[in-house]
Amino acid sequence: MALQALHGVDYHCKKANGLEDDENVYLGNMSNQCQLYMPPLSKAESQVGEFLVDECGRKIKLNFAHGTTTLGFKFNGGVVMAVDSRATSGQYIGSNNVKKVIEINPYLLGTMAGGAADCTYWERVLAKQCRLYELRNRERISVAAASKLLANMVYQYKGYGLSMGVMIAGWDKKGPGLYYVDNDGNRMPGNSFSVGSGSIYAYGVLDSGYRWDLSDTEAQELGRRAIYHATFRDAYSGGVVRVYHIKKDGWVKISEQDCKALHYKYAEETKTA
Amino acid sequence: MVYPVHPDYTTITSVYNADYVKSILAYNGGSVVAMKGKNCVAIATDLRFGVQAQTITTDFERVFEVGPHLYIGLPGLVTDTQTVLQRLKFRIKMYEMREGRKVKPRTLMAMVQNLLYERRFGPYFVEPVIAGLDPVTKDPYICALDLIGCPCEPADFVVSGTSSESLYGMCETTWREDLEPDDLFECIGQSLINAFDRDALSGWGAVVHVIEEDKVTTRHIKSRMD
Repeated sequence: MALQALHGVDYHCKKANGLEDDENVYLGNMSNQCQLYMPPLSKAESQVGEFLVDECGRKIKLNFAHGTTTLGFKFNGGVVMAVDSRATSGQYIGSNNVKKVIEINPYLLGTMAGGAADCTYWERVLAKQCRLYELRNRERISVAAASKLLANMVYQYKGYGLSMGVMIAGWDKKGPGLYYVDNDGNRMPGNSFSVGSGSIYAYGVLDSGYRWDLSDTEAQELGRRAIYHATFRDAYSGGVVRVYHIKKDGWVKISEQDCKALHYKYAEETKTA
Repeated sequence: MVYPVHPDYTTITSVYNADYVKSILAYNGGSVVAMKGKNCVAIATDLRFGVQAQTITTDFERVFEVGPHLYIGLPGLVTDTQTVLQRLKFRIKMYEMREGRKVKPRTLMAMVQNLLYERRFGPYFVEPVIAGLDPVTKDPYICALDLIGCPCEPADFVVSGTSSESLYGMCETTWREDLEPDDLFECIGQSLINAFDRDALSGWGAVVHVIEEDKVTTRHIKSRMD
């Protein structure tokens, strides 16, 4: 003990431990991703989705209208997911090449609609939780469990103004799985979903062409066409149409085509048909 | 995929003040640009007609011929585009009947200015762009007006519509003085296409009119349809 004191071990160790305190202050959500800072407001005011007012005192509605088109549907060959790639900020097109399908792990995919930051962050947290589940339980996580994890995470922030309209899809022991999860805490299984401002146009094409027993290529083309039609009609959808197919042994990226090319290709087909 | 919108973009139903003017002008979408060249002018428009996010048609030209070498573009609220065009055509015909000659571009600008200022306290939601050649001297002329009739007659180019900010950027970099008609076509075409590719509410095709002394060439440009 005397030697320890002579060498100043306590002093030096304390200094090293001091780093942990810094960590908690400056790296808030490094260890616990669900621990986010709250604004320095009272409880009533901290419903941050509502607290913005303009100079006249009118409430500003932050219109996260999910400007996008994403879709996913189950069929006998698995799950097909198709998305556009446009990001808008009001009417300004921020990007025409956003990756709206998030590869959670080699057999689970998530789509992105709504706030980009919210979707990417929480789906990354979901990826971490899925990996931890795998390590602890020595088996893959089911789609139902993965979507439940995400739904429970965002439910804690219900009313705080998160904006996410996400589809979690994969193949597990029960076969192909597809769940819709959103920022309100909705979580529902289903055979086909489309999310976003262009979903109304995609549904028209998707519903009229959908059957359980489609071939792989037919299903992929159905998803592609539905997104293409949404990019044509919806101002807030566009860019590149990406199609993924989830099979028994994981997902495969099928195609990535600019919707300009698709437009002129389909126009030619209607002319020659 | 939407990032936070600047608080000034309020809804159409809010109190009458400067805030909602911008969103009414963006209700239908659309953009127009005009440029001066060497003894020629060019005016170009996109072809989208939509209602907020939904695209209704992709063949709506908002540039109209009102004289042999005189074009006016009327981007903004489409109902006002149609009304202003009809009322303006009436005034132009009356003018030509009384004066016995074709209207000059500068005079057209004054007519439009008066038409718009008449409605100072309940304006037409259009921001016109005029491009033409003087019927006698064949001097090129371009001008733009705001929705209550303030004219602006620069020497190079004018822009209007929902993608006007992107258009300013594109035109500023691509425009040079004394472009020949074919070069002017390339310049204005590229400026418009690349500008409206950054705007959700404009696009879906473009039409360019290049007005020279002896002819007007109209070309349709294939563009992104998203």
